[in-house]
Amino acid sequence: MIPSIGHAAVLIGLGLTVYAAVAYVLAARDGDPRLNVSARRAVIGSFVAAAIGCAAMIVSLLTHDFSVRYVAENNATTTPPFIGVISLWAALEGSILFWALLATGWASLLLHRYRDRYRPLMPWVGATLATVNAFFFAVMTWPGNPFALTAPMAAEGNGPNALLQNHPFMALHPPLLYLGYTGLAVPFAFGIAALVTRRLDEEWLRVVRRWTLIPWTFLTLGIVAGAWWSYEVLGWGGYWAWDPVENAALLPWLTATAFIHSAMVAERRGGLRIWTSAMVIATFVLTLVGTFLTRSGVVASVHSFTQSAIGPWFLAAILLALGGSLTLLVWRLPDLAGGDRPSGTVSRESAFLLNNVLFLGLTFAVLFGTLLPLLVAATSGDTISVGAPWFNTVTVPIFIALLFLMGIGPALPWGTASWSTARERFTVPLGLGVAVTASALAIGLREPTSLGTLGLATVVGSIMVEEIVRGARARARSRNEGPATATWRLATRNRRRYGGYAVHLSVLVMAVAVAVSSGLATDRTVTLAPGETATIGGYEITHDRLVVEPLSSDARVIETRAEVTYAGPQSGSLGTALRDYPNSQAAIATPAVRTSLAEDLYVTLLASDQATGTVTLHLFVNPLVVWIWIGGAMVGIGAGFAIWPERRGRRVTVERPQRAPAAVTIEGA
Amino acid sequence: MRTWLPALAVGCVLALIALGSVLVLQPGSEPTAARTDALARELRCPDCQGLSVADSPTASAQEIRRQIDELVTGGATDDEVRAHFVARYGEWILLAPTAPLVWVIPFAVVVAGAGALGAWLVSRRRPLHGSPVRPSPEERRRLREEADVLDA
Amino acid sequence: MRHLRWLLVPLVVIPLGWLLVSGFGRDPREIRSPLAGRTAPEWTLTSLDGETLSSGDLAGRPYVVNFWASWCIPACVDEHPVLSDAHRQLGEEVTIVGMLYNDRPADAEAFLTRYGDAGYSHLIDPDGRLAIEFGVTGPPETFFVDADGIVRDKQFGPLTPTLMAERLATILPSAAR
Repeated sequence: MIPSIGHAAVLIGLGLTVYAAVAYVLAARDGDPRLNVSARRAVIGSFVAAAIGCAAMIVSLLTHDFSVRYVAENNATTTPPFIGVISLWAALEGSILFWALLATGWASLLLHRYRDRYRPLMPWVGATLATVNAFFFAVMTWPGNPFALTAPMAAEGNGPNALLQNHPFMALHPPLLYLGYTGLAVPFAFGIAALVTRRLDEEWLRVVRRWTLIPWTFLTLGIVAGAWWSYEVLGWGGYWAWDPVENAALLPWLTATAFIHSAMVAERRGGLRIWTSAMVIATFVLTLVGTFLTRSGVVASVHSFTQSAIGPWFLAAILLALGGSLTLLVWRLPDLAGGDRPSGTVSRESAFLLNNVLFLGLTFAVLFGTLLPLLVAATSGDTISVGAPWFNTVTVPIFIALLFLMGIGPALPWGTASWSTARERFTVPLGLGVAVTASALAIGLREPTSLGTLGLATVVGSIMVEEIVRGARARARSRNEGPATATWRLATRNRRRYGGYAVHLSVLVMAVAVAVSSGLATDRTVTLAPGETATIGGYEITHDRLVVEPLSSDARVIETRAEVTYAGPQSGSLGTALRDYPNSQAAIATPAVRTSLAEDLYVTLLASDQATGTVTLHLFVNPLVVWIWIGGAMVGIGAGFAIWPERRGRRVTVERPQRAPAAVTIEGA
Repeated sequence: MRTWLPALAVGCVLALIALGSVLVLQPGSEPTAARTDALARELRCPDCQGLSVADSPTASAQEIRRQIDELVTGGATDDEVRAHFVARYGEWILLAPTAPLVWVIPFAVVVAGAGALGAWLVSRRRPLHGSPVRPSPEERRRLREEADVLDA
Repeated sequence: MRHLRWLLVPLVVIPLGWLLVSGFGRDPREIRSPLAGRTAPEWTLTSLDGETLSSGDLAGRPYVVNFWASWCIPACVDEHPVLSDAHRQLGEEVTIVGMLYNDRPADAEAFLTRYGDAGYSHLIDPDGRLAIEFGVTGPPETFFVDADGIVRDKQFGPLTPTLMAERLATILPSAAR
């Protein structure tokens, strides 16, 4: 019963999105307002359909309805309800259903909000979004049916992937990421609409600004959440392995960030039309490519699913989206070639443009590294690996250059900067940077990457702080306000700029944390009998005993746990374990992490001998790791600050007067 | 001449940073334990997804680490250790590809992009038509004075 | 000349499409073995029954080394009857040898009890050293060695009757099939 409702909802969703797409195209050409309304209602209806579908799946999961194949594969009678609910997005078909919910949600929100504005653009925006959503409903109707049934119905299901059950954070990471992915279709839709209607002035960029920043923020938080999960849960002691699925999330993030910056230039100075359109198309196509890579099985990854019929569908979608958008772009090339160009060779504009070159360089590098094994296999049949060493060597210099630019850019004025302005703005920060690096060397820090990043961060950070202080001081003086009030008032009246400062400063914090935690981390592998002690960093680790017992929360899981006491900058006891889940061949590591603001003590169990109680532990001391997560959260807060609407009087919507009635009676004369 | 000097300076600084970080990240010749660790970070764990032998908890990764240690203490060079495992697994076991072209291509793309950007910015500044007006020495002096007043 | 710009579309889409399509049908985890055409690694190991067997004992006849594990489900379960059949039918011409991959002997015995023991030896590979010599990335992987001790073929993943016949053909003299 419930599965049938779910399946029906998917079919209805497909019908509604197809109708909406057609209706919007017709509305665009005829200008019939009723078609517009009807199409918009269809989009909202598709959101309701997706919601019903998700609800049906969640009910099936909670009631352990093993007649549904998805439930049989991802759920068991012993699965706790919370895990059951988040299993909605745990595996392939359910995740597409969840994706459809969010995508239709964005579309409905956008189309409802702008129902009376931007009339030339909106029908095409609606048509694009409806077409994209129709694709996802189509995938759920044919190759990836979440409500496919199995007969005969099994008495017990497989249970969720062991990795999911280990940590409640699984609840947050995919939704954040998906909100980002699905939201990035909105700027794309506006770009397409602008290209189709030839309204290529800066209007669409202005509208799209918020609608890019919001999904960008979610994507950023989702990526950081993924890194946090990898660190806390997977047990290898790191947070970024350049796995294809990680790269898949990074690629659209890179182009979206580039777009946000070049859109700022274009909005302010005009021009860059080809570039901004290309960026917004690239971002959307990359969200599809990322999803394809992790779901098609063509590239081996931690996340990948075995090859299924869904792969070819996604590939077709990618090629159609890319081919269609490119064709449109090339077609409108004459209209795009106009517009002003940025001034001065050394100016904020050129800094922003260099920023774009670097971000695109990063995008190319990551894409190249991810696809190279595929290319080599296709041409020569050999298998090669492109792993962390290559990615780190290639991307770190570009990241450092971007860090440098991040400090310089906002300090340069729009238009031309003179060499003397540059000199006066950068002398003090440069001096500070040298001073900090020298002090770090003096206290014994030798590791080059950490030293370099610390110095660079000081330069960049002091440039930014100096900007904020100068502005606040000027305001405080002129309005007789205290410094804090002045800063706050200034910030809330210039949310974009100060939100930008906040985000950049947070990125700095993350950069320093990443550099120091990778440069100064220490680790060792030790084998300890009960009672033996090992030292690492400033810590003494003592192995107390080995315990093997079923989990209290799920008796099917056997946990082999080393209980350990530690003393040093932090002291206490911890348990680090390997868990044997019945549906997983490898044991799942459950590392123990003791976090302080200065460093993390990280202990993983590698092997154990039950007879003697001896354990092999991998010990890490990772400095400053917590600041990566703090920095990530701060980026979210900073972006939120920038997105929050400014209080600049009430917004008044002025309706264009309706067309005058045909007959006009003139009294009198 | 003066217009592209700042761009050149910025470019040099960026290039130096890039060069510095690349050099910093190259493994050098170090004591045994450090060499074993460095090699372990270069070799791929056979039954994981993309993790290095240094990071992986699996039994095969631990055995490979043991073998690396044996080879290194036995006097093998870094290249000989890598060749030992490539003979068994193929190039796949190396986490970083050996072909130098693969390392150069991303940097070449960035440099080409930056170069194209620079050329585009600079080309824009050339006057479009007519010959530039040449100020007389008197006018030039006045221009300088006015500019100094503004910059102060 | 103006219309040259339209070339951009196929120039971008076609190579990308070709690249991504090429990945279908291929398992990205399968690596081409560098052992092909080279002498098979030598070994002396103990079997589950406690006997010692070495690769030298198998010289002069083609043999098959099958890396498997009791936890490798369903792949090793699926290919188990294929190997057992091959041993029963062709045991005279080719020696089949099972090699445990990262497994406990007790678990392996339980597997054989459950799914049937065809009678060929299963050897214990302590620490997985031999698996590394052969370049095994995970069970099941099977190596086909001819009578001269040269590795002729490798099967990545479970064997099916068809695949088994194909691979055996590379090591068996064409008369016996």
